[in-house]
Amino acid sequence: MSKFKKEGSGGAPAMNTASLPDIVFMLLFFFMVATTSKETDPTVEFESPTGTKTMDLTPYKQRSEIDFLYLGTPRNPNRANAFKMGFALSLDNVVQATADGLYPTNAVGRWKKDKFSQKPARMSAPIEAVITCLKADKNAPSGLIFDIRKELQEIEALTIAYSVRDKGNI
Amino acid sequence: MAKRDIPEINAGSMADIAFLLLLFFLVTTTMDKDQAYIRSIPKKIDLPPMDNKVQERDILAIKANNQNQLMVRNSIFRDPDKISDFILKFYQTNEKNNDVANNFPMYSTTSLSLCDQNMALLENQLEEAEQKGATDQAKFFQSSYEEWNKKKRAIQLYGKSEIRELSVQAHIRIEVQQGTAYSIFAQIHNEIEEALFELRDKECNRLFSEQYSILKRRTAQDSDPKDKDKLALLEILYPARIIEVTPKN
Repeated sequence: MSKFKKEGSGGAPAMNTASLPDIVFMLLFFFMVATTSKETDPTVEFESPTGTKTMDLTPYKQRSEIDFLYLGTPRNPNRANAFKMGFALSLDNVVQATADGLYPTNAVGRWKKDKFSQKPARMSAPIEAVITCLKADKNAPSGLIFDIRKELQEIEALTIAYSVRDKGNI
Repeated sequence: MAKRDIPEINAGSMADIAFLLLLFFLVTTTMDKDQAYIRSIPKKIDLPPMDNKVQERDILAIKANNQNQLMVRNSIFRDPDKISDFILKFYQTNEKNNDVANNFPMYSTTSLSLCDQNMALLENQLEEAEQKGATDQAKFFQSSYEEWNKKKRAIQLYGKSEIRELSVQAHIRIEVQQGTAYSIFAQIHNEIEEALFELRDKECNRLFSEQYSILKRRTAQDSDPKDKDKLALLEILYPARIIEVTPKN
């Protein structure tokens, strides 16, 4: 005399996952809006110094009026002494020695000119206005920075941006 | 024929697809913004340097050596945060009244009529240069004409017939050595930017009762000519004249 019906298979009922895609899509849209695409993974290691009252470069990035170059220590520390003052320059992931003997002196100029000629036709800014953003390690010597600056001056790419990490934005 | 039900599409894998997209965006994007100080590099010209001496009072030299020690106008600064206060002093000391006794740059008065005079003069010179076919000269006159025009518009926006302007030769000079760390170099730019921001923000609040940072962000996103004029006025009142001296070997 079983008054209570035994449950057939037992276990918890299946959870309704119909709204799972909605939740994931929400996350997806958040990340699409809140982030910007990575430029490149630079082939040198660097840690930017901090600063305040900086200029946000995102609007320039969206108009692709900006080129990045990186100045840092090589990934392999044993290679450091192959470079002038131990710092290497990364132009589009190609590591350039900053030593005068190892690289043609106008490498930065040629790289920048090359980048400029490859810009899409809709971008009308003259080369003077195309920003070159220099991301340098906090211990990088200023001498190298002025070397780069001089090469940019030679080809009349006259806008430079010194990259820092904003203190209020960490 | 019997009516057949349309079979339901199984949406169970929708979540997987969405996750896939999400992961793709997580991997290829970064959260951190690119922040920087934008500076312009002077254009290289072949003319020999002019021989007019800049008065000592117009120069604010900020020096840093290979040991990363800082010096402003021949006095050593142990705390780099104090530099911005000194820059404020450089701009503000003679802002209201000129005093010859102190060693800070003078202010001069620029009036609307002076702008008009100079613009008329430059227009004539421009025409002459164009007739002679001296394009370089014409370009120079053109740019100075535009500069005076900008100044005129700024004075009109200022609401008075004249404006107090910092001496044209007054500038901040950054002198670093070969081995000075980039962090020190960036810190100097930071201090300059801080001082300029404070000055412009104060004036922006007084004139347009809004914050300078908001005005600047708005102009970066969409350029309303009115906002551009406001920024131009603030930049004329407190110009950022920075010279970066190439270190000697």
